[in-house]
Amino acid sequence: MTELPSIRVGPSRSPASGPQEDKLPSSEPSVSDPAEVEATHGPSVFRVENLFFYYGDHLALRDITLDIRPREITSLIGPSGCGKTTFIRCLNRLNDLIPGTRLEGRVEFDGESLYGPDVRAIELRRRIGMVFQKPNPFPKSIYENVALAPRMNRMKGNLDDVVEESLVRAALWDEVKDKLRASAFSLSGGQQQRLCIARAIAVRPEVILMDEPCSALDPVATFRIEELMEDLKNDYTIVIVTHNMQQAARVSDRTAFFTVDTSQGGRTGVMVEIGATSKIFTAPSDQRTEDYITGRFG
Amino acid sequence: MRRRRRFLDLTFWGLALLAFVCIALPSLSIVGSVIHQAVPVLGWSLFTQRTNALGIENAILGSLLLLVGVLVVAGTIGVAGGVYLAEFAPARLQRFLRFFSDVLAGMPSIVVGYIGYVTLVVAFHWGFSLLAAVVALSVLVLPYIVKTTEVSFRQVPTTLREAAAGLGLPRSKTVWRILLPPAASGVISGLIVALAISTGELAPLLFTAGFSDQNPTLQLLHHQVPYLTSVTFTDLALPGARAHATAAAAAAVSLAIVVILIAAGRLMTVRARRATRGMAL
Ligand SMILES: Nc1ncnc2c1ncn2[C@@H]1O[C@H](COP(=O)(O)OP(=O)(O)OP(=O)(O)O)[C@@H](O)[C@H]1O
Ligand SMILES: [Mg+2]
Repeated sequence: MTELPSIRVGPSRSPASGPQEDKLPSSEPSVSDPAEVEATHGPSVFRVENLFFYYGDHLALRDITLDIRPREITSLIGPSGCGKTTFIRCLNRLNDLIPGTRLEGRVEFDGESLYGPDVRAIELRRRIGMVFQKPNPFPKSIYENVALAPRMNRMKGNLDDVVEESLVRAALWDEVKDKLRASAFSLSGGQQQRLCIARAIAVRPEVILMDEPCSALDPVATFRIEELMEDLKNDYTIVIVTHNMQQAARVSDRTAFFTVDTSQGGRTGVMVEIGATSKIFTAPSDQRTEDYITGRFG
Repeated sequence: MRRRRRFLDLTFWGLALLAFVCIALPSLSIVGSVIHQAVPVLGWSLFTQRTNALGIENAILGSLLLLVGVLVVAGTIGVAGGVYLAEFAPARLQRFLRFFSDVLAGMPSIVVGYIGYVTLVVAFHWGFSLLAAVVALSVLVLPYIVKTTEVSFRQVPTTLREAAAGLGLPRSKTVWRILLPPAASGVISGLIVALAISTGELAPLLFTAGFSDQNPTLQLLHHQVPYLTSVTFTDLALPGARAHATAAAAAAVSLAIVVILIAAGRLMTVRARRATRGMAL
């Protein structure tokens, strides 16, 4: 198994001293030098160090170390059951809802521990939006789906404006502006998913986590959501889980490849490598990555 | 082959029809005979005279008052308990509460009445009273409300909870604003059935409500409460056609209350369902 170096910020290292990410020799793990990252991207939004995740006794993720950079799209790819969903839900503490789960290691969000003793998960989740695999609008009107959370969180500003702005941003406004009071279920699947995106951005998060947002959608709807992500990237940090390798290649700046490791008994998710999307897809440093992206795996 | 299928089809429909008749016929015949027996006393005076003057006004008012009491006491505690079980309680506490609730559900109503008498009426010095009666009835229907509420909330898909959590909504608001609307129709049905059961109960009230020829008041303690099932029970034991007719009339009014409750419940659940139509449950 390839040893992944954990990310440590060396304050004394200058950006120039780190190797350029895309020119790394392919035998080297492709985690880039953090100081260099910091200089070009600002501090990481998420910094995950040695994360282990358990469902009861079942170790689902082992020793994950990676960072998520601001205003980039990071895609997580890997075979089914390798823990992508589990991982992305560690980033907004959504696994807290599942009884019997346990997390070890460190997850930092915006420089602070996400799982610290006095962190309030609820307030955190307002800063970290999530879009799920299956569109899951509330059984309420289109308007209410978007307005509900801003109203409850007592956000400043005119609610109608927030709703319009979010729907415009999610590229849904033109299709629904004349029927805002209609049930969210009267929309098509793709429209519902964009409504869920609007709902997520209405609370003005800093990050949007997307777990296979297009898996239930046709190519046209998928294309619209990809366009949308490209646009959202200017203001938000996006993490997307996808099974669609072309999608990862198309939209993301960085790609992390996860896989299932059975070498220590049990099926455990591990991260094989993370790097610039172009590099992962053209010159991966690990054989397993290459096998997967060339379709020689599962 | 086709003929065989047709035959099976017909047999199935025949059996379904038979089952329907088996259920509908007894209910209809009961309703019919109750109304038929009540005919001699059916009239305006039934509703304007009290039981000392061959009417049942006080018993109707008392029964309605008891229903309101049960709705307030058992309704709030039961719904809150069901929501707590489904959404908040840790697994161990859930098991304990569920066991407790099952024990309560299995308790014969006469036992509930007797315990109510020994504790509330005698030990607490409440006397035969509205409060004692409401508490006894509430204990009887509480497990039912808890269960239906819990089940209704559990049926709401987890994806809604996750969506709400992902937006940073607090649990309490999630329950109230997101989960309650889709759960509402089930909760309402549970409440309605609980009220219907209360309407027909006699045993727990015999020991706790007492009876009175006066119209009931809002006095919680030390004032006995008249109610319909008591009229049916006592007047049937009295000699004379008129008393028997009054007993039947009280039963008919009880039935009418139940029918109205069910109709009102239907109306409300239909409205609640309309709000969540199209949701994959
Ligand atoms: N709620 C849960 N309870 C117990 N085990 C779970 C739970 N959710 C996931 N797992 C297990 O954790 C492992 C990782 O699952 P996860 O859903 O994270 O995979 P995934 O990479 O998202 O797969 P897919 O691509 O199919 O969505 C699997 O072995 C799965 O069985
Ligand atoms: Mg998944």
